[in-house]
Amino acid sequence: MSPVEPIAPEAPGGSGGAAPPGARGRGDAPTRREPLFPNTGHVARREYGELVRSRLFHVSTVTLAVLAIIVALLPIAIRSLERGSTTRISVVGDTAQLAKDTQGVLTQILNTQGGTVYSVDIGESEAAALTAIEDHRLDALVVADRTANGSLHFAVHSGETVGDQTIQLLNFGTLSVALLDFATRNPISGFRVPTFDVFRGGGGGGVAAPYDPSAYASRLIVGAVFGVLIFITIVIYGMWVAAGVVAEKSSRVMELLVSAASPRQLVIGKALGIGLAGATQYALVLGPAIVTLLLEDRIATAILGPSAGIAPSLKALSPTLLLAFGVYYTLGFALYSLIYAAAGSLVSRPEDLQIIALPLSLLAIVGYIQAILALTGGITGFIRFASLVPFWSPFVMLTRLSVGRVEPYELVVSIALLLVTIAIVGIVAIRIYAAGVLLYGQRPGLRAYVAAARRG
Amino acid sequence: MSLLIHDLRKTFGRVVALDGLSFEVPAGQIFGFLGANGAGKTTTMRIALGVLAADAGTIEWDGTDTRRLPRATWGYLPEERGLYPRMVVLDQLVFFASLHGIPRDIARRDALAWLARFRVTDLAGRKAEELSKGNQQKIQLISAILHNPPVLLMDEPFTGLDPVNVALLRETFLELTDDGRTLIFSTHQMETVEAMCESIAIVDHGRVVVGGPLREVKRTSGRRIVRLSVDGDHRLAWLAGVPGARILRPGIDRTEIEIDDGVEPGAVLAAAVGAGARITHFEVAEPSLEQIFIDNVGRPPGDEPSPVISAGEDAA
Repeated sequence: MSPVEPIAPEAPGGSGGAAPPGARGRGDAPTRREPLFPNTGHVARREYGELVRSRLFHVSTVTLAVLAIIVALLPIAIRSLERGSTTRISVVGDTAQLAKDTQGVLTQILNTQGGTVYSVDIGESEAAALTAIEDHRLDALVVADRTANGSLHFAVHSGETVGDQTIQLLNFGTLSVALLDFATRNPISGFRVPTFDVFRGGGGGGVAAPYDPSAYASRLIVGAVFGVLIFITIVIYGMWVAAGVVAEKSSRVMELLVSAASPRQLVIGKALGIGLAGATQYALVLGPAIVTLLLEDRIATAILGPSAGIAPSLKALSPTLLLAFGVYYTLGFALYSLIYAAAGSLVSRPEDLQIIALPLSLLAIVGYIQAILALTGGITGFIRFASLVPFWSPFVMLTRLSVGRVEPYELVVSIALLLVTIAIVGIVAIRIYAAGVLLYGQRPGLRAYVAAARRG
Repeated sequence: MSLLIHDLRKTFGRVVALDGLSFEVPAGQIFGFLGANGAGKTTTMRIALGVLAADAGTIEWDGTDTRRLPRATWGYLPEERGLYPRMVVLDQLVFFASLHGIPRDIARRDALAWLARFRVTDLAGRKAEELSKGNQQKIQLISAILHNPPVLLMDEPFTGLDPVNVALLRETFLELTDDGRTLIFSTHQMETVEAMCESIAIVDHGRVVVGGPLREVKRTSGRRIVRLSVDGDHRLAWLAGVPGARILRPGIDRTEIEIDDGVEPGAVLAAAVGAGARITHFEVAEPSLEQIFIDNVGRPPGDEPSPVISAGEDAA
């Protein structure tokens, strides 16, 4: 054993002045200077090491990786299942010849892909065909017109049974019709690219819009995947933080911890360690899934035959979007992990975790629902507002970035608000944690949180 | 150099945990911090550690407010034992030492040395949940002393240990004080305090009721004691004939008799001989610490006191 080393007190002028005897009030209380590191690093290292070595981590990583690969293979599986089914399409043209040419070309092109069988006929009238779509007797209608300058215009009215793959094929098919038309008519003015409008969801109505089905589908897929991923992981990893705090309380190791490190070091270290473990799981889960998606076309060719092209799902996955995902995951997890740590500190037994799990999840669920709404229903004014609200922006802004348009100032405001909120929530959460970790046997209610935050 | 606790006050809601607690622990001593459950011992230790803030009062070590001192000043063994159940013992020891600023390689080396000292080297690679309570306690004690703190605060360190390990722990405590460390521990085992401590403080309802060097505490207790063993007679009916003498603690083997001022111990001996008792042991002794505790607190060490409710606060 080594002899006692004198321990130097913190230098005067640190964080507090000398207190007169008896004056141990909070306002003028001297405090020891405790930098965040290295203790935060020690706590994070322990959390990370214990978590990634745990059975829970292994099982959940393998399960999620398998699920991710299954999801990545889903488009191919759907194509495979669709083999043999028939999609009915009617063509209406302003001239009988145009209708006939369109029917012929589309029949040939649509049926070269394997999988679904396409039955293309010439419809009696546009109105009758639209009614047939609404009655589910028909899947889609292609209206072919010639404009005054001689170029062709195609409008596709699709029912809910028509997917993006078919729209892409129709787009390609109508281009072929225009080429055939150009070749037979040989007008002097040269080839004109036909216009192509898509009216989604039913018969009439709708507004025609410039449409790139492949890109849009990819953006939807990426947006949906990111939305689901960031929601699930923030809630799951947040619960890991809360469960870790509760486990330390119930095993009574907490008393040793709080005597060895400050609440700030413990909370941030725990969040950092679990956050890094989460990032490790991300890499282990998404790595195989991304490789699968990159090989999607080759797998489709091997399973469905050489003509079975699959639209690339990763078309919309830009480095900018990946960076945004990283930033919003990090900030979102930081915010929610602080809240989960504070909430966990007021629970004494693992079985009481459910008391805090639902209300905390609800906060995230509200953001998640808005993100999904943004994905499917367009970006409304409220969604724009929600994408700036710190508790929701990690979900909603990410979706907006995937499928909508975001002004640079909106990104700056959203990230700045998140950072400010993390700082404020951090101060309150650490106060609650400091008071909560030594409370045993009390069920947490709102009053307990407020009292703990005030006590610090 | 000493640990000075001055007028410490703390309330939890309406319950007064510390009510102007003051005492001094000389450096390099083993100090007994005694009191019934709920008397304020753990609260005092937590305030010293900086885990809790006092409402008023100060704790100073070597003249410096403990709130300025690094956490590594203290080695702490809490009453509620706790380790990470699924973490390997050696990893836990290294982790806690590193929180106190000890480099990992040195912590590892010293942890192995301490495990050998406690004859539990084979536990290094095992998870805490696989260990017996006694062994978990040894690991936790090693965790408290691994970073060489000058002051050790230990809440009931002997609870749960078998006699062999109690002896081992006592030996370790003496070695630690030989190294210049100050040891403060609470316990309900009065005989351990009498064997180990140079000074004590007995607290009740958040204030010190008696304290100082153990010898001084006993000497000034106001009691005069005679310990007597009589073969085949533990009732000592003849004692009724000795005015100012009464049985304080009866026992089959040995009986403690208290005598008033002015009564000579020899009067008890003479009465026993006169009654034909076969005396096997006669001793003029100081009162036991347990008796001093009961005299000052009003109940045995293990009993829990009723909480003190502060005046003027609303019951809600």
